Amino acid sequence: MDTALKSLPKVKGRKRRIWTRSQRKTADFYLFVSPWILGFLLLIVVPLIVAILASLTNYDGLSLNTIRWVGFSNYERALTNIDVDVKFSFTRTVMWGLLNLPTWLAISFGMALILNQNLKARGLFRTIYYIPSIVPLVAAMTAWKVMLDKNVGWLNGFLSLFWPGTAIGWLSEHALTGMTIVAVWTGLGTAMVIFLAGLQNIPDELVEAARIDGANGLQIFRFITLPLMTPVIFLQLIMGLIGVFQQLNLPLVLTQVGISRGAVPPRQIYLFMYHVYRQMFVSNRWGYGIALILIMFVVVSILTFIVFWTEKYWVYSDTQGEGD
Amino acid sequence: MSEKVISRRDVLKLSGSLIAGTLLVGCTSEATEESQTSNLLEETDAPVSSADTTPLPPKKPQGKVVVFHDVKEITEPQRAQFESDYPGITIEFVDREEPARLTAMLAAGTPPDLIRVQAPIIPGYLARGIMKDMTPYFAASTLLKIEDLMPANNYYKAESPTRIGTGKIYGMCKDFSPDFTIFVNKKIFEDAGVPVPSTTDSLTYAQVKEYAANIIQRDGERIVTWGYGYGDDWIDRIWMNCLAELGQSLYTDDFSKIQLTSNEEVRKQAQFYFDLAKENLVANPLNPSPSGWTGDDFTAGMLGMMQYGFWFSAMAESDTTRGQIVMIPAPTWAGKRRNPTMTATGMVMAEEAANPDAAWVLFEWYNGGALATERASSGWGVPALKSMLDLIPNESDFQKQCLEILNGELALETPPLQFNPYLGEMDVANSWKTQLEQALGGGLSFDEMLGNIENEVNLTISDNEAVING
Repeated sequence: MDTALKSLPKVKGRKRRIWTRSQRKTADFYLFVSPWILGFLLLIVVPLIVAILASLTNYDGLSLNTIRWVGFSNYERALTNIDVDVKFSFTRTVMWGLLNLPTWLAISFGMALILNQNLKARGLFRTIYYIPSIVPLVAAMTAWKVMLDKNVGWLNGFLSLFWPGTAIGWLSEHALTGMTIVAVWTGLGTAMVIFLAGLQNIPDELVEAARIDGANGLQIFRFITLPLMTPVIFLQLIMGLIGVFQQLNLPLVLTQVGISRGAVPPRQIYLFMYHVYRQMFVSNRWGYGIALILIMFVVVSILTFIVFWTEKYWVYSDTQGEGD
Repeated sequence: MSEKVISRRDVLKLSGSLIAGTLLVGCTSEATEESQTSNLLEETDAPVSSADTTPLPPKKPQGKVVVFHDVKEITEPQRAQFESDYPGITIEFVDREEPARLTAMLAAGTPPDLIRVQAPIIPGYLARGIMKDMTPYFAASTLLKIEDLMPANNYYKAESPTRIGTGKIYGMCKDFSPDFTIFVNKKIFEDAGVPVPSTTDSLTYAQVKEYAANIIQRDGERIVTWGYGYGDDWIDRIWMNCLAELGQSLYTDDFSKIQLTSNEEVRKQAQFYFDLAKENLVANPLNPSPSGWTGDDFTAGMLGMMQYGFWFSAMAESDTTRGQIVMIPAPTWAGKRRNPTMTATGMVMAEEAANPDAAWVLFEWYNGGALATERASSGWGVPALKSMLDLIPNESDFQKQCLEILNGELALETPPLQFNPYLGEMDVANSWKTQLEQALGGGLSFDEMLGNIENEVNLTISDNEAVING
């Protein structure tokens, strides 16, 4: 047998492949997506698991030597009345969202509608309205403080021309109103640009056809513009909703010298994230603070899910009615 | 040979193993450390018979020193100068504006070698075993001699977290000032037709309030000129100092409770500051400082009296206030003169410092070398070394007047305040501001406000006590 094999001529063939084409394709796929998978694991999944574990401890942010397992007591404290400011700050955040989100969406959408018309110097106005979005937050807030201060602010100074000695606390007793004015002004430009992009994607022929059919401006807006803009409104709503619950900087930068452990925003704008900041950075309750963040994560997820669930009722989609 | 396709499930298994491995390693490390250091405060509470002053052998340190610091306090040219003077040692800054980074470093067991701190946090750091005993370094130093340290450095000496003032040396202040002196804008007094307070006799707090009420200027509901300003971030330190005049403490002997409602004297002090706010004689949550900081209100000429330490003299004179201001001695609450520093900002070395010897070189240079000399000459505080006292600026009339008052205040030799190891620097002040706003707005009575502060602070004390003592 051996002799017979040896006598056969050696065939110069291709090396035998270790992997099949299908395996190579799979390996290539994972090779290409591996940076993202690794990033997702290391930057999202691992921190999330560590955060969940930390929320079950008394971690004080200063020393791991003293860390101890406390089970669900941090969650118990947050969800019962032991820490009354959890409920209070959550309520203030919801109030802030209810006032800020619709105002911001309505005004920025309105501005986009106006600047989508054939106006003179349209580009100039678009630029002007976008400027607030590129001004650094601290500089903008300093300017607003000068305008809204109770005693030396320009607004009260102007009002004092008519009602001498006016001292309205725009950034104290009426801080929610003051902060909403500033937040809408700050966020107007970016939202307006996104709405403008959406408006410019509405096919002209649809509007023309409606005009030919005798539709007036209001009807065109009601039956063409608004439905076609609902995907953009939906996107802005989701982003705005998440932003509302993440808000920390604005109350502190607007009403205090800045973010420091001594800074306390007025109660009207005592938002949830400030309460978390206070627990972690002032009182060294990191375990508890992380538990609060995870509770907020769940709440925001539920709210986002609800908004997504309502999508089918009011958001226009190109695939709607397919197959009918 | 069987060929195995790498499936998504395989990838998930591998990832899961990696995460589990990471977590197991982390948990093991924590568990070991925990078992070694339980009940730290009780262990360290035992008095230290005497500080270990055995000199260290001379070495030539090398390597990187990580410093958690205010980056404005060691500028780039100064850092370059240090690195040129001490070849082989480099500085890496962690900006103190990023406290989360310090937390991450402490959590990872790789703390900065040197950490910028203020006095109130020292008992808490000591209780947690964060600071290294630097006594041997001081004992061996020719630049930072123990006998040359100003008494304000006693904040950095401790026998235990509840016994500050003597014992091992854990660091030192970069400079300090008796923090209760008052700066007076004479023009505002003259405009109001009120005689300027004496620069030699100290006022009482009641007189300060009376002056504030007399010099404040209003236009309808608007306040044009304010009467009095103080650092409300330090409200608990102010109360502690006032109580110390009477030999009392803000806390129970074991620091397990704050006494606000049960101590009549504290109630009086809280009532005093509440009334100041209610009458809008001071900036308060409902009537905030126009510039965000009362120091800026003073330099803008909008504030008659500003209670800040000597350090403020370096910036008190602006174009508006130049030639108009004087510094007067600290007021008294009950007639006994005291004027401690209540911040004593300085530097400590981490117990787990990676490069302690090189860190000491930087520490020595910062606190006793060229940079310390430069700081002392600038007037931004009293030098932390006796040998540098002569460098305090003494040229202009205002500087001379401030120095004269300062010398009188330093002569009081006020011992340090004993801060609570179970509280952070801002716990009481933060709670005070939060509750004060509600009380000023009518949402709470004065008693409810005090009760709420007491409950909040006591909860924090109890949480931190559990963390430290187990």
